[in-house]
Amino acid sequence: MTFLAPLFLLGIVAIALPFWLHRLQTQSSDRKPFSSAMLLETTEQRVHVRKKLKYLLLLTLRVALLLLLALVFAKPLWTDPESLPATTPDGTHLILLDTSASMSRSGVFDQAVAQARRAIESAPSGAVLQLLSADDGIHVKSELVSDRSAAGASLAGIRPGALRLDYGDVVAAIDRLAETLPQPVTLHFVSDFQDSGMPVRFADLVSPAISALVPHIVGSGEPFNWTVETIRETAAGVDVGVFGFGHFERAANIELSLNGAIIGERGIISGGQTIERFDGLQMLGGDNRLEVRLEADDDLSVDNRRFHILENVPPAPIPLITLNRDGLPVTYLSAALQSDPDNAYRVEPMVIGEFDSRTLSRYRWVLVDDIGIVSVELEAALTEFVRNGGNLLAFAGMRSATAERIPVSGNTIRPASVGAVSNQFLSVGQVDTGHPALSGTEGWFSVNVSQTVPIDAQSDDQVLIRLENDEPFLIEQRIGQGRVMLVAGGLENQWNDLPIRPVFVSFIVESARYLAGVDRLSKTFVAGATLPLTMTGGSSGQVIDPDGNNVLSLADTARAQQIKLSKPGFYEVYTTQGDYIVAVNPDSRESILQPVADATLQRWVTAMGGQSDAAAIPSFDVEPESVELWHALLLILALVLVAESLLGNLHLTPRTTN
Amino acid sequence: MLAHLKNLDLVARSVVEGFLIGLHRSPKFGFSQEFAEYRSYAEGDDPRFIDWNVYARSDRMVVKRFLGDTNSHLMLLLDASASMGFGGPPVSKLRYAQFLAASLAFLASRQHDAVGCMVFDEEVRDYRAPSSRSGKLQSVLHCIDSAEARTGTKFDKPFDKFREQITRRGLVAVISDFYCDIDKLFEGVRPLAWQGQDVVLFQVLDSQELNPEFRSNVLLEDLETGEAVEVAPQFMRDAYPERMRSHIDSLSAAAAGIGADHVLVKTSDSLDQALRNYLLFRQRRS
Repeated sequence: MTFLAPLFLLGIVAIALPFWLHRLQTQSSDRKPFSSAMLLETTEQRVHVRKKLKYLLLLTLRVALLLLLALVFAKPLWTDPESLPATTPDGTHLILLDTSASMSRSGVFDQAVAQARRAIESAPSGAVLQLLSADDGIHVKSELVSDRSAAGASLAGIRPGALRLDYGDVVAAIDRLAETLPQPVTLHFVSDFQDSGMPVRFADLVSPAISALVPHIVGSGEPFNWTVETIRETAAGVDVGVFGFGHFERAANIELSLNGAIIGERGIISGGQTIERFDGLQMLGGDNRLEVRLEADDDLSVDNRRFHILENVPPAPIPLITLNRDGLPVTYLSAALQSDPDNAYRVEPMVIGEFDSRTLSRYRWVLVDDIGIVSVELEAALTEFVRNGGNLLAFAGMRSATAERIPVSGNTIRPASVGAVSNQFLSVGQVDTGHPALSGTEGWFSVNVSQTVPIDAQSDDQVLIRLENDEPFLIEQRIGQGRVMLVAGGLENQWNDLPIRPVFVSFIVESARYLAGVDRLSKTFVAGATLPLTMTGGSSGQVIDPDGNNVLSLADTARAQQIKLSKPGFYEVYTTQGDYIVAVNPDSRESILQPVADATLQRWVTAMGGQSDAAAIPSFDVEPESVELWHALLLILALVLVAESLLGNLHLTPRTTN
Repeated sequence: MLAHLKNLDLVARSVVEGFLIGLHRSPKFGFSQEFAEYRSYAEGDDPRFIDWNVYARSDRMVVKRFLGDTNSHLMLLLDASASMGFGGPPVSKLRYAQFLAASLAFLASRQHDAVGCMVFDEEVRDYRAPSSRSGKLQSVLHCIDSAEARTGTKFDKPFDKFREQITRRGLVAVISDFYCDIDKLFEGVRPLAWQGQDVVLFQVLDSQELNPEFRSNVLLEDLETGEAVEVAPQFMRDAYPERMRSHIDSLSAAAAGIGADHVLVKTSDSLDQALRNYLLFRQRRS
């Protein structure tokens, strides 16, 4: 028997407690000193003996209770050696089949299956076999069996996928598995042994737990492979990069489709890299599915399609709450956001009296050019908006200077100010360049500040910019699920020259991206990557894979944190914060069919075989099938608990004493 | 109140003085210190009582005798076994026995009697030979005071030792709870009586031993043997007092059979009764 969490066995020490308590109980029984027992006579009713027995039973139950509790937490495993293959002098033969994208090369996988079958059949009669497949991880395809036919039958269901295989990762995974198997372990690796799959360090290819590596090379010859290497968006359209791997030229036809409709076609003859430009794309609003397809006579077809998302999103409206629609702050902020190269935002100035706070839920974030103008009602609405996940970028302008506290954030305002007592100018003293809203900005130290609204930062506020007199100039505060970014100065161009400094534009654009949360989401992934659903703005949702199947079960739609993107194509993601599409393509390294050099492979084989002498390694029993016992122990624990409660209740009867 | 006094000498003095004041009012006992006669000086007599005038006139050493002065020996045998530690508050049986022994010693000393003491349990723990010398009383009181209740009880050893030491007839006061086999006890007492010693057995018992009160079954542990006996309240209420009375009666009868006296003393009683018994014995001997 083994334990999954043996440290919990330390809990057994707790059985000292009932022993101690019962000892006290025994000592405090009706035992009284008497001058002499000479004239005494033992009563017929041996109450104390009965009581002692009851105490002993209770003690036993309590000790059993604690023992069981410790055992349940320690998670014991019962192993039954009889249910497993007997000791095998020929050890274990692992048949590992490469199912990475490159193995879908024409005819290669059939060769691989045949090689794997031969490896199974040629294994020693006393050996136990296990069939595995490998792409970006190791997958067990059959149990550890002595029966060759059972292992061979499992070959039928294995198909190559679109994922990448790294030989270093495979060896590391096999090494952990082999430690639990009957020794010696012989690894039959059926693969095309791509050079691009080799790790940087040769040492990563060596496993101490594997006694011998038998490589079964498939897909020999001079391969040629076309691949769509890149899709780059340009102002007029897209540039498609195509690469032909091989030592000779071949013809291919490029077909470009947008949202399922073919919009362009080119024929090329090349042996290297070719970039074809497609202009005049008529995109729809939102995410557009762009697919490049190669019609070519090459050896690997899985990389002849490449998928891309072209975003054609109209600028998102950002409400700018102001007192004066024609004021300088509106001009500065509008101009800054219009200069965003992605043209993602459009400022909508709204005069404070006309703004309908019920519309706040339509926006991801809100601008206020002077937080001092916010009324009590609007403050409540903005606070609720931020608390529910909205964001606010606010400036503390001249109207804020007369207030006692900053609305929404609640920061108190001190009466003193930078330039209030003298006409000095201050510069920025400290900038948190690690913050996403400031990491792409430069030139803060050229900003001159003559006056600020002196804000007291709260304990949980993050001061992003401080002036040289250590006063906070930019504060970020988290409220509920949202955040408030507050600049301790206005945009009237009177208290500081920030609006006319170049840094203002980059600050506003980066802050807009940060507050809108768009910079965290990429829409193009490599096959095998994981898509974090929580970073897309919502907690889970539903995902449709390229074949049109739901990726998440009904239960997972509410709790899944991420999904693995294993198929090339378009995944449709539906979350509570919106819908979008992501494109998934095979790893381009799988397109390079160049096999590893013979010398390197031979060195690998030697290194693996030289780890230990297979004949010298003693045979061990096959890792037995383990049964977790904690369920049964939990049941017994419940029964003991009931018994202990009932018996303990009997002792609760009041004791009469002399 | 006396129980709270630490000084045994003071306790004994207080008890005896109080007792004597009571006696003087009673003509029945006629105890006094009035001169009675002269007798020849014998070894062991206190030299303070030698009449030097007679010696000057007649060249003979005589000592004065007073009324009630018998020049007898009093030997106190104090049981300090573990069972004597039972009882109280305010005093255990042993402490009460110590008061009693000290009072007897003090009273005897006032009568110019030689007083000795032996503290015993399974062995003889301490022994002071009888003497009427002035400083001897303090030695006897110290011997009594230093007794501690421990181990079991065996009467044969102290009686054997006492028989070896004693040379003169006198009073022997055995102070114990007498939790023992009476036949065996009297195997030691009987030779003393045959030697001519006047033996008085002071049996000291606590009221919890005479009339124990228990409302439920209780496990009683023998202080000497450690034996635990589970007893029912009915037994302690009915049968046990009967057994105790029977034991006391047997002891009393056995004592009477050899001419010894048996006095039952409860720790809740005053010491006067015991002192009266002593005087009666002393009177009888004289």
